[in-house]
Amino acid sequence: MFGWEYPPYAAGGLATATLALANGLVRRGHAVTMVVPFPAAAGEGGVRVVSASDVSANLRVLRVASPLSPYAASSLPPAPWGRRTRPTAYRDTLFEDVSDFAVAARRIAAEHPHDIIHVHDWMTYAAGHEAREVSGRPLVAHIHATEHDRSGAWTHPGILARERDGLRDADRVIANSHVTKRHIVDEYGVAADNVDVVHWGIEPPDDGDLHLPSPFGAGVPIVAFVGRLAMQKGPDYFIEAAAKVVARHPTVCFVVGGAGDMLPMLFDRCIALGIAHRVYFTGGLTRVETERLYRIASVVVMPSVSEPFGLVALESLRAGTPVIISRTSGVAEAIANLVTVEFWDVNDIADKILAVVNDPVLARELRERTNEEMHDLRLGPDEPARLTVESYELATTGP
Amino acid sequence: MDACFYFQLHQPRRVRRYQVFDIGSGAEYFDAAKNADTLRRVAERCYLPATRLLTELARTDGARVAMSISGVLVEQMERATPDTLKSLQALVAGGGAELLSETSHHSLASLRNADEFADQVRLHRHMMKRVFGVVPRVFRNTELIVSDGLTPVVKALGFDAMLVEGADTVLGWRSPNHVYASRSAPSLRLLPRNYRLSDDVAFRFSARDWSEWPLTADKYASWIAANPGDVVNVFMDYETLGEHQHEGSGILDFLRALPGALRRAGVRMVTPSELATRKPVGLLSYPGPMSWADTERDVSAWLGNGLQHAAHERLYSLRDVVLGTGDLELIGTWRALSTSDHFYYMSTKWHADGDVHTYFSPYATPYEAYISYMNVLRDMEQRVAGLKTRLKTEGRRPETKAPARSSRKPKAAKAKAAKAMAAKRKK
Repeated sequence: MFGWEYPPYAAGGLATATLALANGLVRRGHAVTMVVPFPAAAGEGGVRVVSASDVSANLRVLRVASPLSPYAASSLPPAPWGRRTRPTAYRDTLFEDVSDFAVAARRIAAEHPHDIIHVHDWMTYAAGHEAREVSGRPLVAHIHATEHDRSGAWTHPGILARERDGLRDADRVIANSHVTKRHIVDEYGVAADNVDVVHWGIEPPDDGDLHLPSPFGAGVPIVAFVGRLAMQKGPDYFIEAAAKVVARHPTVCFVVGGAGDMLPMLFDRCIALGIAHRVYFTGGLTRVETERLYRIASVVVMPSVSEPFGLVALESLRAGTPVIISRTSGVAEAIANLVTVEFWDVNDIADKILAVVNDPVLARELRERTNEEMHDLRLGPDEPARLTVESYELATTGP
Repeated sequence: MDACFYFQLHQPRRVRRYQVFDIGSGAEYFDAAKNADTLRRVAERCYLPATRLLTELARTDGARVAMSISGVLVEQMERATPDTLKSLQALVAGGGAELLSETSHHSLASLRNADEFADQVRLHRHMMKRVFGVVPRVFRNTELIVSDGLTPVVKALGFDAMLVEGADTVLGWRSPNHVYASRSAPSLRLLPRNYRLSDDVAFRFSARDWSEWPLTADKYASWIAANPGDVVNVFMDYETLGEHQHEGSGILDFLRALPGALRRAGVRMVTPSELATRKPVGLLSYPGPMSWADTERDVSAWLGNGLQHAAHERLYSLRDVVLGTGDLELIGTWRALSTSDHFYYMSTKWHADGDVHTYFSPYATPYEAYISYMNVLRDMEQRVAGLKTRLKTEGRRPETKAPARSSRKPKAAKAKAAKAMAAKRKK
């Protein structure tokens, strides 16, 4: 398995999903070798982690970003590979790293016996291709987010081409939602019969004390946003809706959990709207801090403009907190008990926030129904692994 | 063997997406455009072609069916599709359809408020008299909801028989193909639905993976003829004919061929009022409320979760004050909010039956349906409070009598007057 993001070097949902899937496969009795493009920490839960940087000294960068939304501001641990020898443009290094990774993949494929090659998102597709050249094993390309999801209208032509070619080249494709499947079938001409949809599962929360007394005192409802402060996640719509809610509710507070390049703009907007005293920005949050935020919130709002899946929704529901999410997000396919909105319709978002905050019957009903759903096997941590193995079988035998 | 075909005609006045910001703004509660569009679409695909066909079959083959048409639908047809209403009037006048009674607003009043239930039954009766010139003798409650507590009430309202679900749990070893009576009201005949033969048409007709597909009229008639008992009761939504089962499925051709096929198989078409004169073979008891919906056949489709209960309770908590205003328009609006569909949209049953719920719902999720509905009720509460204050400051007392009868009288009187005028003009 070739991954680009993997804990502890994680910038978003990709790492969480890759880890959950690898662990799930190991629990089902499969041996997983995880190849990552940075110095490897010890593998967790029986997953063997092999670092490509041991093989290729040139490999340094691991995080993907598009020109207009670099994930740069996120709160990552200081990266040990961060020494840049050549001060070239960010983009150029990224493509170089991708091809270095692919070169390393040839050697790793020869040294580590395997039955299937599984690659995650476009950065690893070339590596998968090279590995298959060496071992002749079937190649499964997993797509968690498309370039369109990451960059909206400002997509990078080079990335689009690699994403398209990689998906068309694979023996089998796994998309993490029907939304994503539809996109790659329509935009890249990937054969629909060749694509399996596997929704993300969810692991139990990390250890640690997840309970936190509300910083605003008892009885004050908290509405939370969790995610990167980037255009694709719609934090600006969250702020606009907040202003409408504040005008109709005497105490409700808003917490924006996450970091990103939109932070200054959001800050200014809160001041302009006169709601700076009711909106709190936390900056980047650790896993435990995020779990605590889910638990003190009355409702979590995810007004993503483009969301191939939306792990935040699953995490919030696991913590017992209802979510209001964008209708087009992938997770809306997997969960029934959601309050859905159009991301741009701030009146609608505000109306629904007020309904959940003011109506105990609605809040209780949402909690109870989603709790039932979260106990459903469909969303368990082992289900993605089970479906992935089915996909492997199809890749091996052909449909 | 006899067969009794009954069709339910109903379209709710769907509540539009009503936000908290709309409260107090005087904005409409109902989505008039969408409701009219839906009605026109259903009329074009089902009501008009099916009604014309039944009228023709009544003339050529002596086909006779039973129908109940909700008051909310009649009101909407009067405004949006008067030609559809005319075609139904022609069918009834030609003897092709016997009309049954129900609540005017297709409500769940029988489960909550006996006074409101009686009011709505009377309203519907007046409407049938005004629009079709008939007074129904047989009752069918919203979605065939029935209980031992309800049957004496229905009897007291003057009905001879009532349509009920032929649920296995109630019938036990007994066949649904007979006329029964109610244990709690033995003079009220109960006509149980044969759900297998009903669902063969309503749900399975166009299912290509069904071993009996395609279902021909002759095959279906032979099944009815081969069933043990006296009468097979086939009850379903009228919208089955061309809407739920679309025209391309051949459903209207099936209907066209049915009277002939039944005759050849030795099956006679009968209506509920004919069955109401027969001697019952036994008594049926419905300890808890039962309906024809979902696999549970209970009322959980409408009052199954906390949202539905909260919304229904809040609606009925407004009844006395709304009726007390004497404001006929407000009362009509309140009653239109009592229609069962509003609560059906709030259902969170997601399993096999949930698909059916989603098919019928105009909302993205049940939570959205609930949020809009509760916002509407809050607006109505404020309106009522405003009316009361106004009346007080004007020194008048709000009317206290229940305006069920009186609310219709002016309209009925008006219609009578209009008729008289028309007759005069003809002379």
